[in-house]
Amino acid sequence: MIKTEGLTKVFHAEDVETVALNKVDFTVERGDFVAVMGPSGCGKTTLLNILGMIDNEYSGEYYFLEEEVSKQSENNKTDLRKEHIGFVFQNFNLIDELTVWENIELPLIYLGWKKKARRQRVEEVINSLQITHRKNLFPIQLSGGQQQRVAVARAVVCKPALILADEPTGNLDSMHGEEVMNMLNELNKDGTTIIMVTHSQRDATYSNRIVHLFDGQIINENLNKLL
Amino acid sequence: MLGNIFKIGIRILIRQRKYTLMNIIGLAIGIAVFVFIYLYVQSEIRYDRHWTDYRNIYRVTSEYSLDEKVDFMALTPYRIASDLKSGFPDVELSTNVFFTDPSDINDVYSIMYDEQVFEVPDITLSDSNLFRIFDYRFLEGDPETALSKPNTIVLSSDVAQLIFGDKPALGEKLSTFRRVYEVTGVFDKTCSPSHLSFDGIVSINSLPERDLQLLSDDWFWMTCYTYVKLHDTADYEDLSFRFNEFASREAQAFIEDGGLQIEGYAEFVFEAVSAVHFNTTLGYDSPSNIDSAYLYIFGIIAGFILLTASINYINLATARSLKRAKEIGMRKVLGAHKKQMVFQYISEAFILTFVAFVLALSLVELLMPQFNELVDKDLTLVGSLFSREGILFGGFLIISIILLSVVSGSFPAFVLTRFNPVSILKGSNFFFSQRARHRLSAGNIRKLLVTIQFVVSIGMIISTMIIYAQMSYLEDYDLGFNKDNVVVINVSKDTTYQKNAPAFLSALDAHPAIENISVASSLPGYTIGKRIFYMGNDSSQQQLQSANYFAVGSSYFELLDIKLLEGRLFSASDSAESIEGFIVNEAAVEAFELEQPIGTLMSLDGNETHSKIIGVVRDFHYEPLYKNIEPLVFMYRPHVQRYILAKIDEDKKIAAQSHIKNIWKAFNDDLFLHYTYLDEKLESLYHGDNKMLSLFTYFSIFVIFISSLGLYGLSSFLIEQRTKEIGIRKVLGGSEKQIVMMLAKDYLRLVLLSGLLASPLVYYLMNRWLDTFSFHIQINAWYFTIAILLTMGIAFFTIVLRSFKVVRQSPSIALKYE
Repeated sequence: MIKTEGLTKVFHAEDVETVALNKVDFTVERGDFVAVMGPSGCGKTTLLNILGMIDNEYSGEYYFLEEEVSKQSENNKTDLRKEHIGFVFQNFNLIDELTVWENIELPLIYLGWKKKARRQRVEEVINSLQITHRKNLFPIQLSGGQQQRVAVARAVVCKPALILADEPTGNLDSMHGEEVMNMLNELNKDGTTIIMVTHSQRDATYSNRIVHLFDGQIINENLNKLL
Repeated sequence: MLGNIFKIGIRILIRQRKYTLMNIIGLAIGIAVFVFIYLYVQSEIRYDRHWTDYRNIYRVTSEYSLDEKVDFMALTPYRIASDLKSGFPDVELSTNVFFTDPSDINDVYSIMYDEQVFEVPDITLSDSNLFRIFDYRFLEGDPETALSKPNTIVLSSDVAQLIFGDKPALGEKLSTFRRVYEVTGVFDKTCSPSHLSFDGIVSINSLPERDLQLLSDDWFWMTCYTYVKLHDTADYEDLSFRFNEFASREAQAFIEDGGLQIEGYAEFVFEAVSAVHFNTTLGYDSPSNIDSAYLYIFGIIAGFILLTASINYINLATARSLKRAKEIGMRKVLGAHKKQMVFQYISEAFILTFVAFVLALSLVELLMPQFNELVDKDLTLVGSLFSREGILFGGFLIISIILLSVVSGSFPAFVLTRFNPVSILKGSNFFFSQRARHRLSAGNIRKLLVTIQFVVSIGMIISTMIIYAQMSYLEDYDLGFNKDNVVVINVSKDTTYQKNAPAFLSALDAHPAIENISVASSLPGYTIGKRIFYMGNDSSQQQLQSANYFAVGSSYFELLDIKLLEGRLFSASDSAESIEGFIVNEAAVEAFELEQPIGTLMSLDGNETHSKIIGVVRDFHYEPLYKNIEPLVFMYRPHVQRYILAKIDEDKKIAAQSHIKNIWKAFNDDLFLHYTYLDEKLESLYHGDNKMLSLFTYFSIFVIFISSLGLYGLSSFLIEQRTKEIGIRKVLGGSEKQIVMMLAKDYLRLVLLSGLLASPLVYYLMNRWLDTFSFHIQINAWYFTIAILLTMGIAFFTIVLRSFKVVRQSPSIALKYE
């Protein structure tokens, strides 16, 4: 599903150059649940951003669904992203001005779904994630765990093939963290590919493969489930 | 403490360079326009307020009625000045100033001195009381006695300079073709603005005794302006009542003595001299008079422009407030009182306003020549500061700076200092909730202020479009005659031309580039004179009618392409003494109630001989389109007239012009040639309105520019605030177009709302303006639609310009933004 060759990302700040990713070769198959781990600043989030096509300044090759995307236009990438990828962030990244319902509905609007279909689909997701009673609230009226639930709902609403999760439990207590991890696990079982960046060893146990990054390079890979 | 506040203020403004610059530029332009309008309005208000006794000086105007038709004019009969002085003790002084035609820029007098000819515009007749009432500053001579002797003339300093250079003028002899005049005074015309505008005054007793006697008897011969100076204790309303009683008695006696069968009266109105400049309702009045409504409109526009600039400051400052929340929280924690903080923000506004003022005044000084050209004035910034009203102007500037600082600084100060320091410093969640609540108020107020800006912008655009449409309409209006390719030559009142007239005219006609020529006492766009016509030939049954009167030569109608409806036109074989004398327009047929106009007998001003009406011509617009077409009577007078008309071949314009110059030189070598094209002259009738159009256009551009600048700045901050949201939306698949539309949508809605608010107001005001024209366009919905769409376009462009960078950047960067 995903393959990168020689993926390199360099940050330029004033006179200093920082290499965030250094010739990363990385492959993810359909149905994988990959955990990317490593110390702060090792390039985890950068890798995730590139895979999610929200960071387009890098060198090397990136194949998404067998298609080379690094040279593709912004519009094409946007189309690929909105159709196939869902995002979950550490700080939820909900839009403060929109209600729970509207936040979840937004990707469908961008996909051009009709109103009736949207209503049906959002209803479905909201019910399955048990947040129906909060659908008219604004994000600031929710707890962190509730916000992340909404974020997951938003990520899955368009039935993406891939979910990219950037420390999804980083801002949550252990109980809410576990809830979110269970949700991701369920999704993975249903066939959704998941790539998750995390600091948490415990969260990583949900994955079937762990990739360790250090100074922008993959240093080893565990086939988690085999260990 | 104060030093610290200013130091920090300056640092903050310097650190936020872009914001400061945008604010200063907007504010400076706003202030500059405001100062221009202030100077303009002030110069208009100053008219005739500089005379020492201006509170006691009145002009007498007349309401003059004949057979139910009423005319209002600035002119009065000559006699009333002496009637007022001799019969009414409240009148300290009275004087006459004879009517000349100041609207006709070509109406100049040729004056000879030292074998050289000089042209002097606006020479009038008056007496020594003129300078007792109006205390002109005399550079030479004694105002008390300057006009007491016959054949004396007082000149303006401009003309004296023109003729005599730096030599003294006093006692020098000037000659016209009729007489020799001695210069007995030179006055300073430039000192202050007045509706009185003359460059030479000849003593009234230079007129022959016989003429003066004729003038002194008549109650209906309107020849001059009358001014009186009343005693301090006099009540002008009471005087007006008593004088009108006297006048109606005397005028009735005059009618009866003349054996006239008319229903008529002349009533006189006393008008304070300082109000004259703002009276545009009278005939034969000073062309410099303006409608005071224009001053109010300009004043309102000035206020709006300043408001627009202040709104920018308020909006940018409150939008910026989020960035300063931490600073404020910290200050409060460190023990700053609310008062100190408010003072801090107001002083920032003060620094900014002060810099903007300095820039604005430099801008005013720089652009003053262009502005003067636009408004036909001679204003100077330094002159205004050091004039009599200079203290007022200086004080006004200082108060404006303080007021502007306080007004635009206090709202942001209020919003900023309301933050609760604990919430701000405690953490992002609290801050978020704080922000949400804060947005509810400041955000809505910002929207309201932006709406006000859009209302002003849209209002200005619609008004400008309507004025433009009306002016184009007037330009293209079918006037009922052909104004194209007609050269009008002003004929001097001097005698050399009169001797050579027939030879001159035939020489003029003898060129292939000249298609036709004629002569006339007047023509469309030029001064017209009302005369009295006695209808019917039975003197006991005579009906009096007043109508405008043109004396014309043959070919006049053919040359101007005026259509004949009935009867015939004048022909070269007619004789001026012939009984076949008059042609009238349709309006005259209707006003005189003539069922069979052709053959009707009438006479001019009660002459013994009566002549027949021989033709009726189609109505044409001989007066500006503010007025309806009034009755007009033509009489055949092929000899010398004030104007020569030449219809020229359009393709041979240059040849025609040089032929006219050559012939003029051959016949009138010592006289200046003054000619103009009729279409240009007609255009000049709308000079005041065209001036309005230019001013409105400029004001609209400034308002839109300032508003756009504010919108650019405001959207910068708001888009910056929404950077993260933009990132999220992009991650979720929002296209750049969708996101820009989302950002612009709010503002476009505001523009639409503003358009709906502005439209009824502008509709009402512009209809009132259009009503001043008898012929005008109808306001339709297109003006409003176009203005709203245009403003939407500008707002959209501004937001696209600003949001482009943020929307284009990678969402990964946007998501890091906090």
